[in-house]
Amino acid sequence: MGKDLPYAIDVEVPITAGELQVLRRQYEREGSKVRVQTKFNYAWGLVKSSARHEQELGVQLLHEIHKEFPERKRECMYYLALGYYKMGEYGSARAFNEQLLALEPQNKQAMSLRSVIDHKVSQEGLLGMAMTGGVVALAGVVAAVLFKRAK
Amino acid sequence: MDTLPEIAATFKILLIGDSNVGKSSILLRFTDDHFLPPDEASATIGVDFKVKMLDLDDTRYKLTLWDTAGQERFRTLTSSYYRGAQGVILVYDVCSRESFDHLDEWFEELSTYCTKDEVVKMVIGNKIDKEAERAVSRKEGAEYARKHQTLFLECSAKTKIGVQQAMEELVSKIAESPTIRRSPGRNTVTVDESVSSGYGGCGC
Repeated sequence: MGKDLPYAIDVEVPITAGELQVLRRQYEREGSKVRVQTKFNYAWGLVKSSARHEQELGVQLLHEIHKEFPERKRECMYYLALGYYKMGEYGSARAFNEQLLALEPQNKQAMSLRSVIDHKVSQEGLLGMAMTGGVVALAGVVAAVLFKRAK
Repeated sequence: MDTLPEIAATFKILLIGDSNVGKSSILLRFTDDHFLPPDEASATIGVDFKVKMLDLDDTRYKLTLWDTAGQERFRTLTSSYYRGAQGVILVYDVCSRESFDHLDEWFEELSTYCTKDEVVKMVIGNKIDKEAERAVSRKEGAEYARKHQTLFLECSAKTKIGVQQAMEELVSKIAESPTIRRSPGRNTVTVDESVSSGYGGCGC
């Protein structure tokens, strides 16, 4: 059943270019005196982008907020996990998500994100194995042909 | 293999309201029939999302439920999820006068981001299990809802009372709304593209 599949809605719902533009403008307008709220909003928008360079910038901003504002740690951990997940860096994604779960063992969103990450990793692991298997099989065929010829 | 009844429509439903009024608890009760004690529950980060099938009068509806964070710090984020909602539930805590007073602001927020007139609204007063601590009477809540021409119900996510009923009332009201767009040829309701992509690939 569909509802049993893991999901992380913020991964799946992209932000529109217009929405991101609004957040970026506000961030740039505030310049060096940028408020943490503005910075966080922009970082969130960047992480939701499908462009890799924007995701990277989002993650960077979240790291800064995470370091400077302890009261915003939990959401930074969550969105850092999401950001790294989207970038395909599952180890880091897992690390931040587990940090959040250590603080809040019953956090449903983090529990859900954990299964999303696990699901993805096992999928890609299988794919990797299939590819490796294919290469090994092919190498076997090539070796057999060469062996035959050599005889 | 396909023995599931056909889904007549998909509705996007949003929960909004102050933090700690029990939006996530109402949803958890509705979708999983479960309740987390307050010390185990954690505040929603940004937005949470659940899918639930609801059968009403032999018709199956697929509900995508968007549980927004009540904390001020997520206000900008959550507003981006309003788009395309057919139903909005405004939740307050019957033991918190403040959360009730803030409904005005939530209505304002709603009219800013939900420009469609056809969105069905419902006001829910949660935590009626804590009767001794009640700060907003049922009558007052009902009057407020009437003034805003919305549905009204009181419930308790903890004891279950009213939760299922609330969802059923909301969904049947959405279903009978004449302005809900139905896509031609197929008996499904077109929602917003952001919704249909929200659970893409889950049709197994």
